[in-house]
Order: sequence, then structure tokens, then C-alpha cells
Amino acid sequence: MLSQTERGAHMIGDPGHQLPDGQWSFRATDVTKTYDSGETFANDGISIEVHPGEVYGLLGPNGAGKTTLVKQVIGLLKPTSGSITLGPYDLVDDPDVARQLCSYLPQAQMPIDSFKAHEAIAISGAIRGGSRDAVRRRADDLIAALEIEEWRDTLGTKMSGGVRRLVGFIMTTVWPGRVVILDEPTNDVDPLRRRLMWQQIRKLAHDGVAVFLVTHNVMEAEKSVDRLAIIDEGNLIAAGTPSSLKSNGRHHVRLQLMLSPGVETPPLPEFVIRDTRAGNNLITVIDESAAATGIAWARNQMAVGIADEYALGAITLEDVYVRLTGHASAAEFDL
Amino acid sequence: MTAQASVTIGVLPAKRQGLTHWLWSYGAMLRWELANTRLILPLLVLAQALSGAGLVLGFGLLMPSLPAYVAAYLVTGAAVVSLIMVGAAVGPQLVAQQKMEGSYDFMWSLPVPRSAAAAAWVTLNTVIAVPGMLAALLAGAVRYHVSLDINPMVIPAVLITLVSGTLLGYALSHAISKPEVTFLVSQVLIFVIFGFSPIAYPAENLPAWLATTHRYLPFVHMADVVRSSLVDGLATDVGHSYLVLGIWSVAATAVTAVVLRRRK
Repeated sequence: MLSQTERGAHMIGDPGHQLPDGQWSFRATDVTKTYDSGETFANDGISIEVHPGEVYGLLGPNGAGKTTLVKQVIGLLKPTSGSITLGPYDLVDDPDVARQLCSYLPQAQMPIDSFKAHEAIAISGAIRGGSRDAVRRRADDLIAALEIEEWRDTLGTKMSGGVRRLVGFIMTTVWPGRVVILDEPTNDVDPLRRRLMWQQIRKLAHDGVAVFLVTHNVMEAEKSVDRLAIIDEGNLIAAGTPSSLKSNGRHHVRLQLMLSPGVETPPLPEFVIRDTRAGNNLITVIDESAAATGIAWARNQMAVGIADEYALGAITLEDVYVRLTGHASAAEFDL
Repeated sequence: MTAQASVTIGVLPAKRQGLTHWLWSYGAMLRWELANTRLILPLLVLAQALSGAGLVLGFGLLMPSLPAYVAAYLVTGAAVVSLIMVGAAVGPQLVAQQKMEGSYDFMWSLPVPRSAAAAAWVTLNTVIAVPGMLAALLAGAVRYHVSLDINPMVIPAVLITLVSGTLLGYALSHAISKPEVTFLVSQVLIFVIFGFSPIAYPAENLPAWLATTHRYLPFVHMADVVRSSLVDGLATDVGHSYLVLGIWSVAATAVTAVVLRRRK
């Protein structure tokens, strides 16, 4: 097999061949995707820019248009209007190059029932153009880093959902493109290996990849992304760093009650600015000047058996997300 | 934890294209397809071999003795049915399965030329189909003592039959977005190929309108080119059949190319 350098050698003159790393920015500009003869907007004028070295979150509830946007990036769908570029390449005009430069981990599990983990990774690396030895070395490192050595020779049918997800992650990143798109990468993965996966995602960004993280788990994203966009009903409704998005609520605090199982949401006092309920969690946002009153109210709820515990804390990205979309994220159900 | 190897991202950006990239992609996709069907491949091959032989032996139960001409027609017809069935019916069901599992988008996000992926698919179908053809011929030789006179044209005949049949099924399965509909259509195809195509019997046995229709459909011509390469004197005007199949092959390739490059 040819080495990567050998394969690249006959392509000198290609516009991307010697482009400095800094010029490999991803740009989606005014991307609109409509269905039903233009009556339904899956994406409505979305503009996003992601730079090499960044982990960029794409957040939104189910059906918000995240996957539609991703499918346009990798050439599975064509935008109705707008442009998508990566460095010198127009990804809409050239879906072949889009697939070469963007690695994609879909939300669905990888189809690896018949594969041993190391085979699925090796073939994926070959498909992405990596030489056998280089792919093997990096696969070994990633398998070790994610601590899944014991499943190296296990068939996909015998893997747990979490291990399968980790193998899928390695398949996607063993020979990554300039952009790596991860759709809910940590689904089914245990907490320890989630942390290890996040380390590897960070490492990818450090190595110059632009990482696109698609998720509706806002709490996880808050800890992991450099910048993010929130999409709802096809529209980009907010974008920025987690801190900048939270800055609007600087004088607010979050008062969270764990309600007793089966109880109705109690009547809320006037100082509650916003509230949302996810499972037994009642999350309220109050002004920081009302903190003491809020604590007294929460204690009273515990005393009368409505709540089991409470917590007062700083505003999170989750609160911003709930305010903007009206939806609780997946993370709230995990508390 | 082990330190990570360098990702060598710096050499990735050049667009890969040309024959080397195509061959590399074909090889990698063929590895993928063979590994992906590993658990069912032996069963599929066995099922094809059994159905090829079963078709011949089943007719033997119905009609214990047949004139040599009819037996040769039947045996070569069963061999052709085995070839067509995989590409036109079993293949689409495998694609529909990918759509149901949700892995279809991943497969189509892979950075390989669509034509290389299609070629790997045709190769996989060949691996599944050829044993069925051989089993039918073997059963025919044993049960009816059909004497085969295999000539070198068997290679282009089998290839054009497999390529046109498989690509038609392939285009169909990609063009139909709902996998349930693909399953239904492939069932209908099996029904039409088995029962109402003059492959294992002469076209004269069909109503005139259906016989005329089959002059423009590929199935009878697939049978004729393969049959003429296996037994002398069974098919006439093979050149015309190659012409019709050539047109179908070009059309199937063109439709496949359009369907695979189409973005909604």
C-alpha cells in the first residue's frame, strides 16, 4: 500500500495541498434547507464558523435541524441556498471532497455486528486513506487511551452499546479529516470512559481538527466546547462561548429542588423568574437578591414533604438553553 | 494512559482522486463488504447453492424424465435464475436492512468514489451468486445428464448478467427511500423472475403480449447469453441479446450513477 505522502505527491497543485493550518476554517453561510416545496424550513439561514483547534457545539432539541445541517456538510443533502466551505473547498459543489475532509460519527450505532473491533477500525482507517501501519499504531493508542483493550478481538454483536460507541468513535477519528463531526458521541458510554473520550476529543482539536459536537446534552457540552450554537426549529437562536451566553443571566441564580417521587409541582412564589421540570427535578431561576428567601422556601418544601433536597448554584448553560428553547435537555434527566 | 500518536493531519487536505484512489477505495470497500456480511455470507452462499440445485431437482420430481433439449433448457435456466436473483432481489434487501438499522448514512458518508463502492457491491454479489449457478449446473449434470459445452464466452456472459442485474437492483434500492417498500418491490421481482420470465422455459409458452414485453426486458437475454456459453445450440441470435443487455447495462450504470450522486 502507498503511504499517505506518496498518495498526496501526485496532487501538488491542488488548492489545499500546502495551505497553512490556520486557513482551514469551516464556514456555513446562510444555509437554508426547505422541504415540501419550500413550506417547511429544516434550516433557516444558519451561519456558523469553526476554526481548526476548536470544539464547537451544535445544540438543540430533537428535530431542531442539527442533523439536517450535518448531512449538508458531508454531502448527503444539498442546501436549498447558502454556502458551506472548508478552507479552499466548496463542500456543496464538491461532495466528494466534503466526505474526504469530514469524518462523521452518526447518532445511530455503527454497523459492525460482523466485525471485530480492531478490524472495523483498521478498515475504516484504510477507507479514510490511512496507511496500514500508521492506522494500526494510532488505533492501538486510541484503544489503550479509551481503555477498551479487552474488547479488541470481540465481535460487534457481543459488545455493549457503550463499547460499540467507543469503537465507532475510534473508527471515525483513527484517520480524521479536517473536520470531525460527532453526533451524540457519548451516548451509552460509562462515566469513566466518557471522560477519556473527552480527552481524546480535546486532543483532536489540539492536533488541528475542527470538532463539531452535535448534542442535546447541554451540561456535557458546557464542560467540553469552546463555542456553541443553539438551534431550534431550524433557526440559529444563539451563538457564542458558554460564558458569553450565560452573561445575560449574571444576576440570576439557579434554585433546584429534587421533588419527592409522584408529587405535583408546587405553586411557585413570585420571585421565581423561570421554571422547568424534568422528571423529579424542578429547576427555577431566581434573582440573586432573592437567594435567602428562595432557600427558606425550598426548606419549607422539604419540611412539608414536597421536596427531598435542594441546591442553589450559578446559572448554567442549561438554564440559558431552557430559556431560549423552552426544552429541558437530556442532561436534566440524568441528575 | 498511552500518549497519542501524531494524527499527521498536515498531509490530509489534498483531494484524493484518480485511478490509485479508486483502486484503493475499491479494495477497502470490498474488505468492508466481505467482513460486514461475514456472519451471513456462508448462509447466503449455501442458500443460493441449495436454491440453484433445488430448482433443478424440484423439477425432476415434477417431471421425472425430460427430453435432453428441455432438460438442458431447464438446467441452464436455473443457473441464470441464481445469477439474477442475488443482484436483483437479495442485494436490495441488504441495502434496505442498512436503512432500517440507521447505518445507511454512515456508509454514504465514507470518503470513497461511489463507483468504487458500487463495484465492491457487484463483486460481493458475484461471490454470493456464482456458487448457486455452479450448483444448478452440477445438479443438472447429475440428475439429467445434461452435457455442458462450456466456452470462453461464459465469462462475459456471466459478467454482463451480474453487472446489469446487480446494478438495477442497486439503483432500485437506493432510489426507494423507504426500506419497507424496497422489501416489497424485491419480493415482486422474485415473483416475476421466477414465474413469469422465460428463463427456464421458452418465451412461446407465455401469452403473446408478455413474450413481446420480454423482448425488451433483460431477463430472457441474460438467459440466452449465459445459455449459449454453456450448451451449444440452445439460443439463437445471441448477438442481439448482447446488444439488448449492453443497453440495459449502460442504462443501469447511468441510473446508478445518478441515484448515487443525487442529493435531496
